[in-house]
Amino acid sequence: MNVLALHSVEHAYLGRSVLKGIELSVGTSEIVALVGPSGCGKSTLAQVAAGLLEPKSGRIERQYRRHAMIFQDPSLLPWATAAGNIAFGLRLARLPRRQRAARVAEAAALAELEPGDLGKYPVELSGGMRQRVAIARALAVRPDFIYFDEPFTALDVALRRRMQDLVIATCADAGLAGLFITHDLHEAARIAHRVAVLDTYGAGVLGDRPLPGRPGSRSEAQVQDWVGAALSRDPLFRHIHDVDERQIA
Amino acid sequence: MTARLKPPLATRLAERAGRVLEFLWSGWAGLAALFLLAAVWQAGHEAYGPFILTSPQATVAAVWQLAGDSSAWAVAGLTLQRALTGFVLVGGIGVSLGLVAGYSPATMRLAQPLITVLMGVPPIAWIVLAMIWFGGSDATVRTVILVSALPVVFLGAAQGIATRDRGLDRMAQAFGAGPLRRFLTVGLRQTTTTLFPALVLALGTAFKVAVMAELLANAGGIGGALADARINLDIATALAWVLIAVVLLIAVEYTLVHPVKGEIDRWRRAAQPWGVKR
Ligand SMILES: Nc1ncnc2c1ncn2[C@@H]1O[C@H](COP(=O)(O)OP(=O)(O)OP(=O)(O)O)[C@@H](O)[C@H]1O
Ligand SMILES: [Mg+2]
Repeated sequence: MNVLALHSVEHAYLGRSVLKGIELSVGTSEIVALVGPSGCGKSTLAQVAAGLLEPKSGRIERQYRRHAMIFQDPSLLPWATAAGNIAFGLRLARLPRRQRAARVAEAAALAELEPGDLGKYPVELSGGMRQRVAIARALAVRPDFIYFDEPFTALDVALRRRMQDLVIATCADAGLAGLFITHDLHEAARIAHRVAVLDTYGAGVLGDRPLPGRPGSRSEAQVQDWVGAALSRDPLFRHIHDVDERQIA
Repeated sequence: MTARLKPPLATRLAERAGRVLEFLWSGWAGLAALFLLAAVWQAGHEAYGPFILTSPQATVAAVWQLAGDSSAWAVAGLTLQRALTGFVLVGGIGVSLGLVAGYSPATMRLAQPLITVLMGVPPIAWIVLAMIWFGGSDATVRTVILVSALPVVFLGAAQGIATRDRGLDRMAQAFGAGPLRRFLTVGLRQTTTTLFPALVLALGTAFKVAVMAELLANAGGIGGALADARINLDIATALAWVLIAVVLLIAVEYTLVHPVKGEIDRWRRAAQPWGVKR
């Protein structure tokens, strides 16, 4: 069964077409990585799928109960403490104050945040901790679907790996479904069950490839091999490292 | 693990007490500046004599004398009332209009030239008009405060919304917030950066304009008392009233505006290096 399905979705910004003929589905407890070169419309696709943008045409079926979203920059409220930020989604969901505290503590523990850090403001936290707070904020609403929009691109390699492991533990292993947008094929190969490739000009999803095994169970060598094989032999991935900002104009 | 969003009450009270003490401590610098001003004043007094400039001491004595006079309290109270109601009026109208303009670029483009016109008209012209319309009443003073301070409050609120972090809006939307809740939870809060300086400025304008309008419209209050002092060539009383107006402004600013700002800007302090806080 699909928890998210996009059928011939089209989107345009002020008349300029960005997405066309998008067919994409995400199954129950499945994490799909969406890769594609910069500016091809990945973020737009996620926002359309999540309902933040109205598609120009097409049909979107959402079977999940509740989604959460993790963005490239943590998007934390600077005036609220880490705990206040984690509680943000709960506040919007009008969860009573009493239950909020327990849920915040639970989510913070999942994201491996120290209780001592919960009283700090975002300016007092490191980049990695801020992204943890963003992850905890998403987990706190107990979503069954999570949209990730290149959440770890700004982090250094070691930190990114730890964050990926965190996502594998809290989402993939916990049976959550998700759409993980990235332009790092290696990241996709670690986290996802399946990798889909978006066309360089947003004209449809070119195709997808299943990944062997479960996300947490792949060894580093397996991941490397898969990425190496995909880049050298699979025509689907030929263009994903194309970078041409001029196309944007 | 005990689940708490906030530290225990005792800790929070201690933190708040700490902030108040820090605030009072920072008052030393202000006091030093005031004494410097008094010294310059005294020098002026010694150079030009008591008929041009009474000494700070004599002025304070005049204030003291006024303080013992209940009718003087009524005079000061009248100006305070007018300045505050005018301030509340301009705050309410300016903030609501500014928020609308911040969200709607079309309104902003329409409002911008009007603001320029409003700022170009000297307050004295408004006083004349308001006197003709309302005579020497509270309404005259409030009207002049409103038109004089409206541009700065309006722009403060509009800028705050227009320069908000759109990423936060998008985030709130992703967590299911509609337009109204987005405004209440993330939009409004971001205006404080530009709105608070604007409100402080507007409060100062309210007091200055209130006294000026009272004087010119012969509407009583501190302005009226200043007019009387001028007729009697009573420099000491005139300066005493000026001092009282300044003290009223400072009192309102530190009891009304700064505590609110301190609460709202708590996170900003967390970003400051330790030395800057003192
Ligand atoms: N709000 C907007 N208004 C107009 N055009 C936009 C807007 N947001 C994005 N675009 C354009 O839509 C295209 C796709 O943008 P999008 O952000 O979806 O790309 P992306 O694949 O997420 O890129 P990246 O990998 O760099 O994040 C780009 O050409 C961009 O210029
Ligand atoms: Mg993007």
